[in-house]
Amino acid sequence: MSEQVSGAPAVEMRGITKAWPGVIANNGVDLTVRAGEVHALVGENGAGKSTLMNILYGLIHPDAGEILINGTPARITGARDAIAHGIGMVHQHFMLIPVFSVGENVMLGREPVTGGAFYDHARARKEIEALTQRYGLALDPDARTGDLPVGLQQRVEIVKVLYRGANILILDEPTGVLTPQESIELFGVLRDLVKAGKTIIFISHKLREVLEISDRITVMRRGKVVGHLTTKETNEQEIATLMVGREVLLRVEKKPAEPGPVTFRVENLTASSDRGVPALRGVSFELRQGEILGIAGVEGNGQSELVEVLAGTRRATGGRVLLGDRDVTAFDARMERDSGIAHIPEDRRGTGLVLAYSIADNLVLGRQRTPAFSWHGMVLRISAIKAWAKRLVKEFDIRAGNIDVLARTLSGGNQQKIIVAREMGNRPRVLLAAQPTRGVDIGAIEFIHRRLVAERDEGTAVLLVSAELEEIRSLSDRIAVFYEGRIVSIEPADTPEERLGLLMTGGGSGTRTGAA
Amino acid sequence: MPRIPEPLRRLTRGLAVPVGSVLFAFVVGGLIVAGTGGDPVVAYQGLVCGGLGILCSGGENSALQISNTIIFVTPLLMAGVAVALPFRAGLFNIGAEGQYLAGAVACTAIGVKFSTLPAPILLPMVLLGGMAAGAFWAGIAGVLKATTGAHEVVTTIMLNYVAQWLVRYLIIGGPLQLQGGFSVSSPIGPGAQLATILPNDNHRILFGLPSSVYRIHVGLFIALAAVAVFAFLLWRTPLGYEIRAVGQSQRAARYAGVSVRRTIIVTMLIAGAFAGLAGAVQIAGVDHNLTDIYFSDTTGFDAIAVALLGLGSGVGIVLASILFGALHAGGSVMQADAGISSSLVLVLQALILFSIGANFLSAIKVRLPAIGRSPSTPPAAIAAAATATEATGAPPEKDTS
Repeated sequence: MSEQVSGAPAVEMRGITKAWPGVIANNGVDLTVRAGEVHALVGENGAGKSTLMNILYGLIHPDAGEILINGTPARITGARDAIAHGIGMVHQHFMLIPVFSVGENVMLGREPVTGGAFYDHARARKEIEALTQRYGLALDPDARTGDLPVGLQQRVEIVKVLYRGANILILDEPTGVLTPQESIELFGVLRDLVKAGKTIIFISHKLREVLEISDRITVMRRGKVVGHLTTKETNEQEIATLMVGREVLLRVEKKPAEPGPVTFRVENLTASSDRGVPALRGVSFELRQGEILGIAGVEGNGQSELVEVLAGTRRATGGRVLLGDRDVTAFDARMERDSGIAHIPEDRRGTGLVLAYSIADNLVLGRQRTPAFSWHGMVLRISAIKAWAKRLVKEFDIRAGNIDVLARTLSGGNQQKIIVAREMGNRPRVLLAAQPTRGVDIGAIEFIHRRLVAERDEGTAVLLVSAELEEIRSLSDRIAVFYEGRIVSIEPADTPEERLGLLMTGGGSGTRTGAA
Repeated sequence: MPRIPEPLRRLTRGLAVPVGSVLFAFVVGGLIVAGTGGDPVVAYQGLVCGGLGILCSGGENSALQISNTIIFVTPLLMAGVAVALPFRAGLFNIGAEGQYLAGAVACTAIGVKFSTLPAPILLPMVLLGGMAAGAFWAGIAGVLKATTGAHEVVTTIMLNYVAQWLVRYLIIGGPLQLQGGFSVSSPIGPGAQLATILPNDNHRILFGLPSSVYRIHVGLFIALAAVAVFAFLLWRTPLGYEIRAVGQSQRAARYAGVSVRRTIIVTMLIAGAFAGLAGAVQIAGVDHNLTDIYFSDTTGFDAIAVALLGLGSGVGIVLASILFGALHAGGSVMQADAGISSSLVLVLQALILFSIGANFLSAIKVRLPAIGRSPSTPPAAIAAAATATEATGAPPEKDTS
């Protein structure tokens, strides 16, 4: 699994260049992937990783450059050619039909046929079983795909690619959708695949994972390759610096918190999920000015619902929420926002932004009727909106041609910065930050972390919900652990990861230490 | 490869569908004419003459042709807005026809009942009455959508039928019927009538004809103002901002503190008011009473084509209204000059709608998500429903009237 074992290059891409109007996505990119290795392709969003891989998979035609597969020049003009060359791609967003069985999804397009026209269930099942056993990929061919957890759905994608005879597997941000446990399982699968002689190209911007799974690393920045690294000889800091093009602070630097008075009080809050089952079963906590309270927990334990209730987009079924002395339990989203509760929602693209709106329009989302941006709620103050947008774009380093650019066209990091800018731009009293750095690049993560701490230092009460334990631990002043709709414990910031992990899964004894 | 500047590319891409659809329709229409033994060039020459007053070969008066086209364009502008606005909120208002008729009925009823009032009082009354009636008619669908989740396509289609039969009832034996057994209502009072733009004088000769034959009326300005109001509302007001947000992402709208239900209702009310205004202006400006031509009216259906072809924008609605207005006005000249049945116009219109439906709806599938709690209706089904209404909703009326 290291460079000594791997032999001749499986994939060679030479001088690949692809320009879109206005940007050069790939500029003379060279990539060599040796047979039998896990090769990580890292870079920030927009660095050109996906373009390069889509060129290899035949979805995009390069303007210049050549591709060699196993030493011989290959003309790849479509996915069909790529498959013929033994290249398979597992996309970040799965291409599965939820109502089909696992077997049907795997076979789709290459169904074994019996009697001339009929789907051969028996043979399909046998072939899948053979495949899954060979690579240690436990899967039930008859399970309905849509019912499977995300990790297993991804496994279906992998099996599908293997079934088509892939020897070179491209995985595009495969861990982006997985829980930590599922990621560990995925890595096990990848190791087995390599043992069986497969070559893997692993696209990621999560450096810890890259260091864990890869043999060699190619780093891209702004369409160019900026480094070829051997995993064993490098470290997180070096990769990050190459990716971003400057020194990056991987650790958040912050002073000890100076908590002020309690400004936000949640008492015995209950609420239901979308499916009508109780999601919050009596949540109580206090939030002080100038502190960050982190909410740790495995996703789906009620954290999302908690934030929605506090932000006014979900109704509480019981309990109270007090902002200062004011009961804001029954406030709707606009009233919450007007009273000083800002909300960075976990779903950036669907909730936090209107993708078809410009940056400027998105920067007033939720404030479109406030006196600052409209005249008596009747006519928009376009010039005020523009001035506000220009200020925030500058202050929050939102990188775009101008403020009239549609949010849809921006990278995830810049999209998230729009939301962060909007929600912080008005000095909120309480900031609800749900998964504030999910799926954004290192540069943006660093920036958002710094702003969250700065916001805290300005005296804002920050509630931080994140699935990344590392993020919780590095930013929070206190950590509330969520399990099955309750806070099982409030822990100090320096609680070891193991203890938090245990509490998150219902183990350990919750002591409410560190409670305000 | 020469590089085309981005704004131009975007514009070209935006115009590709409407322009392509119109070209498609004219090419297929021409083939139909040629295939049935006619001369497409002569046919289209007649159409252009009748629609735009140019290239006339039969001695037609250009000014009169343009005036007639404008008569058709005027209600299309307002009804087009009535379809385009809900589009922005992700709602498919197939009911502009019913709302238009509701406006026409209200205008007639008020104009007849208070026929003695002077214009400064009566004219606002009939126009506002028409708007209120249209808003009410559309509001029914809006409230149903927001409360029970009933799909607006279905409810507005059904409300069209109710309105169409209601008009029939009112002037055939109903309370609005003129004495003497005619299927028409009494005329509205003079105070309820919109002035013509050119003097209504039989002796004054303008452009070679008595000026009274030009029926263009000040309703044109009302209609243009309606389009301007629509564009302003959509792009310059918080309400328009919220309507567009609801159309793009209901979750984002909710996050922004927008009540999706309220926005749906308000959008339908405003849209209905525009359609009702169109009906009221048509009565007050052109017909002055409710007649059996309203049995077979298709303004509200044509408005769907206008809104689609105009891509839901103010400028687009104006251009598309002119196209469809010219087609309607040109049909009779084509029939007289080229001997091609004016029904070809309906074929052209249907072809335009068809080819837009084929292209445009694949685009709005992404941009306009399904609304409310009702199961989402696939855009193709909506298109089919719209076209079906267009095809079946009106023609049977012609047979019976």
